[in-house]
Amino acid sequence: MEATREIYWNVGHGVVWPMYLLAFTAMFACGYGFYRRLAVYRLGRPLFRLDRLPERIALLVRNMLAQTQVLRVLEPGTLHALFFWGFGLLFIGTLLIMAQADFTDLLFHVRFLKGTFYKIFSLVLDVAGLVAIVMLGGLLVRRFFARPEGLETIRDDYVSHALLFAILLTGFFAEGARMAATEIGINPELARFSPIGGLFAQPFVGMGPAELSLTHKLLWWLHLLLALGFIAIIPFTKLRHIFTTSTNYLFTDLGPKGGIATINMEDESAVQFGVAKVSDLTWKDIFDADACTACKRCQDRCPAWATDKPLSPMKVVQQIGEVAFGAPEASLCETVTEDVLWACTTCRACQEICPASIEHVNKILDMRRNLTLMEGAFPGDEVRTAINNYEVNANPFGLAYAGRGEWAAGLDVAIMEQNSDVDILYFVGCYASFDNRNRQVAKNFVAICNAAGVKVGILGKEEKCCGEPSRKLGNEYLYQMHAQENIETIKGYGVKRIVTTCPHCFNTLARDYRDLGLEVEVEHYTTFVNTLLQRHRLKLEPAPFEFTYHDSCYIGRYMDIIDAPRDVLRQAGGRITEMDKSCYESFCCGAGGGRILAEEKLGSRINVARVQMAKETGAPLLVSNCPFCLTMFEDGIKTGGCEGELAVRDLAEIVVERIKA
Amino acid sequence: MKILVCIKQVPDMESRFKPDSQGTWFSEADLAFRMNEYDEYAVEQAVGLKELLGDSADITVLSIGPDRVVEAIKKALAMGCDRGVHIPDAAVHGKDPWQVASAITAFSQGKGFDLIFTGMQSQDRGSAQVGITVAELLGYACASTVVGFEYLEGSVVVRRELEGGGKAVVRMPLPALVTCQLGLNVPRYPTLPNIMKAKKKEISTVSLGELLKEGPLAETTSFYPPAKSGGGIILEGDVAELADRLIGILKEKTTVMR
Amino acid sequence: MKALLVCEYREGKLLDTSYELLAFAERLGADTAIVLVGDAANVPRYSGKVHLAHVAIYGEYNPDLHKELILAAVDRENPDYIIFQHSSYGWDLAPRLAAKLRLAQVSEVVAIAGDGFEVGCCNAKMRRTVKPSTAKAVITIQTGAFTPQGEPQGSPTVEMLDVAAAGKVEFIGYEPAEEKDIDLGKAEVIVSAGRGIGKKDNVPIIAALAKAFGGELGASRPVVDAGWVEHSHQVGTTGQTVSPKLYVACGISGAIQHLAGMKKSDFIVAVNKDKDAPIGEVADVLIVADVMPFAQALTARLHK
Repeated sequence: MEATREIYWNVGHGVVWPMYLLAFTAMFACGYGFYRRLAVYRLGRPLFRLDRLPERIALLVRNMLAQTQVLRVLEPGTLHALFFWGFGLLFIGTLLIMAQADFTDLLFHVRFLKGTFYKIFSLVLDVAGLVAIVMLGGLLVRRFFARPEGLETIRDDYVSHALLFAILLTGFFAEGARMAATEIGINPELARFSPIGGLFAQPFVGMGPAELSLTHKLLWWLHLLLALGFIAIIPFTKLRHIFTTSTNYLFTDLGPKGGIATINMEDESAVQFGVAKVSDLTWKDIFDADACTACKRCQDRCPAWATDKPLSPMKVVQQIGEVAFGAPEASLCETVTEDVLWACTTCRACQEICPASIEHVNKILDMRRNLTLMEGAFPGDEVRTAINNYEVNANPFGLAYAGRGEWAAGLDVAIMEQNSDVDILYFVGCYASFDNRNRQVAKNFVAICNAAGVKVGILGKEEKCCGEPSRKLGNEYLYQMHAQENIETIKGYGVKRIVTTCPHCFNTLARDYRDLGLEVEVEHYTTFVNTLLQRHRLKLEPAPFEFTYHDSCYIGRYMDIIDAPRDVLRQAGGRITEMDKSCYESFCCGAGGGRILAEEKLGSRINVARVQMAKETGAPLLVSNCPFCLTMFEDGIKTGGCEGELAVRDLAEIVVERIKA
Repeated sequence: MKILVCIKQVPDMESRFKPDSQGTWFSEADLAFRMNEYDEYAVEQAVGLKELLGDSADITVLSIGPDRVVEAIKKALAMGCDRGVHIPDAAVHGKDPWQVASAITAFSQGKGFDLIFTGMQSQDRGSAQVGITVAELLGYACASTVVGFEYLEGSVVVRRELEGGGKAVVRMPLPALVTCQLGLNVPRYPTLPNIMKAKKKEISTVSLGELLKEGPLAETTSFYPPAKSGGGIILEGDVAELADRLIGILKEKTTVMR
Repeated sequence: MKALLVCEYREGKLLDTSYELLAFAERLGADTAIVLVGDAANVPRYSGKVHLAHVAIYGEYNPDLHKELILAAVDRENPDYIIFQHSSYGWDLAPRLAAKLRLAQVSEVVAIAGDGFEVGCCNAKMRRTVKPSTAKAVITIQTGAFTPQGEPQGSPTVEMLDVAAAGKVEFIGYEPAEEKDIDLGKAEVIVSAGRGIGKKDNVPIIAALAKAFGGELGASRPVVDAGWVEHSHQVGTTGQTVSPKLYVACGISGAIQHLAGMKKSDFIVAVNKDKDAPIGEVADVLIVADVMPFAQALTARLHK
């Protein structure tokens, strides 16, 4: 007996017409639903996101088909991925059946669902169905019985879980009914290849043929209607993510991380800066809201959320969706609230983990631009003061700009104004220039360069703040003012290479300044020192020490520099104990996004939380390589009461002590 | 309503001051300049009043000084003043308050300003004279060091700050001049559209020669850092050691440690 | 040389600062006469002439009328100097007088410098010497700069002043300073926090230091404005003027408003990162250090 089965067994070929009619109705409903949503996406400003197509398609394959990004969070990721693959195979199986019955067989009398292929087909679908059911069960337990904190469950979740279960079960029962009539006891050789179907056939064994036929018909129709219902409701429920999230992989921002549109300050026709209303967003920002599955991975990693501040990146994205689809003329900043917008440290942990390619940070920055540039708002009076200080003295402290280079007095450092024959321009930044603690780092970095025979120059009083905190607070005007001045000065000296000790300066000079015309090579001192070590221009005498390392957001997540600092510290004799949240999952110190200038009035302290994580490693030393982090941790150790148990030092301070004489 | 705001550009007070070559004022090298803090309150108050009154109010902002003061005028325009007037004078620091007040008076005469706002004093010279002198010369009612301002049809009610934190409440008819003190308001941060609009606002120039017919009544003969008081000791070093040394000194020189 | 001293009277009382005018005139070596809008029961203890105008008629604050009254006294005395406190009363009236008489005015004099006067400038960071070009001049003196020696005594000859004039400014009334929950005026030790302590969280550390001294917590205006400390703790011209046995200024750079409020303290310790901060000018000891670690070290040491 040939291994195959009769398609449309029992229900008969007569169902084809009503079935296809219903299927097209469902697909039309689905299409219409998306068409309606498309109109809302179009409320946003244009943005071209289909360049570099091969890369985008590769992303789609990796993240949709291979579920790579979903799998970054293991437990729910595995449940989702296996369910996706299981359900996906069932869908492909259904398509194959359709292809044979209504296409190849109908037109060419070709049947491929037979023999060994059919056996494999049967087995694979059976197993896929089982896996899908089990995974769905896992997801259901997670969502309804062992719900992780913050996972919000709405009507859509009940509907989709119920529907998916019903589809899978009716599928198996229909198969079981068919097997009870055609395979169990009749073709046991074939039944072996549908073990799960065989189990589902048990209730039907022994049923009278008429009764069995009716039951099967009912199950078949039920399965069909459920599946088509599923298709029809996709755009109207969270199930839409099947399409939107996948499509969003295609629309991924392929630019350098942290890139944000540089506003054209010369454009006198511009009347709106930043995002006030939905129409100020790009279509991608609105589409992002539709791609969000509310998996809350971003929220779980948000340092503001973790310290009881009102910001949840997920909620911001969802609120944008609610406004866009509900009240597109409403004020976004009022809906999201200022407290939420100012709470963001731009640490990018949300965006890094997002399995839907959503860009959270720039939405917040765009709304901050509206607050700052259109309303003259600040997160607090202390920030107003700092911004005024920037305007006058180009540093947040309000210290005389002329004293910017004073830390270097007596050191072997050239002031570019006097001598620009240098190997590198050290762009010092405000903290290392003026703050005593960070001046140590600057001096140590110079000592390292001296030891390696690198000629260092600084701009001294010609250097201005790079503009990063201003920009991240939304003050593009002030940022560009400083940036233009710095670029002009740097270009004026024909600088070839810039090294920074501050990751914020680093990102700004290396990436943001590109838009304004600076093309010089920019490096953070971590990689610079690592290269000096690799090339043996710098030699260390390792002395053992135990430490834990904090990946600053703008070095790790933004610049993908994960190994270099660890390598340097290992060469210095260090033995690392990693914090739970490290590398790409590092937890911000709390100072990014201009928060270094602001008082932390809401919730608990981010820096104290981070210092606590460092303390939990048992290592007595926390090493960082960012002036903001260093400042936050020095404070956090004091406010968190960890003095004596944990100390924080900069990487440069560790290295300089071990330079081989 | 016609409003005049008189502003001055001053060095940032965090700067380190060094005497100039004549030794009668500071050298401008390495100084960062900004709008006099008290004048920012004046600008804010004027703009706030205009918001209340609507477009019937027209604010002129006036500054005397070298070309750099145009920056301060631009900021005032960005904050919401309607037109700027620059009286160029590279040697304004050599003019005494009487001369500056006389020039402002000459400018204002016949222009029918209903209200004039000035800072209570400049942060650099700190004479606290110019505003009040202008009022006196123009015959305007005047209240100085104002920390509260309310406009009531045809008159203003202001709160003057007194020593010890109390306030005196006074009412003045228009035309009037008020000198503004810290605490009056929080100066707004100019929005970008307003900065752009300000670029198109008119800044006219009036020559000082046309306005100033008065000679100085006082002159600055020298400019120098204050002498350190004789008894002052400066201690530096490790904090724990410093604490011990301080306690030693306090035991010796005061009665509080007993 | 003759000086006409304009004394101050507020809320039914002659202000003590009036005696500083006498101390200054003495330094000048000038003969004196006083003009006062007040009442006969509250004239200064002073052997000389007081030109008195009744406050009941002319009011405590009415700059136009007071100007006319002082002018009437000037007519009588023909003084070389008309001297005011640099106070809300003095700085308001002095320019009116100077303008009317076309005289030089020198504001907020801190010392006599040859034939000129030393005044502060650039937020008290610098000084300048100002010389009147007119034969006579109007002077305002800095509060606290000229302290009277010994107890004032004597009883003046009072001559009444009357003018017929109307003022443009109508005085409505006083508003009291905000309620104070502590009285810094009575504290023997005050430890004050300035912006240099960095953040609100550090206030308890400074408060702990104050407690370790058995004293009270004070604060500079920016710290109060920022909402770190209640206004009742504010030291300075807009807060309280204090003169404890020991004043410790933590992270206070020494804006003039603050200095004026505390420089009469018996012993002043300033803790500041910046060696050149103006607070160093009045400090008996200037500790150049990071404020918070030092405050903690000192508190710990005091508890031993």
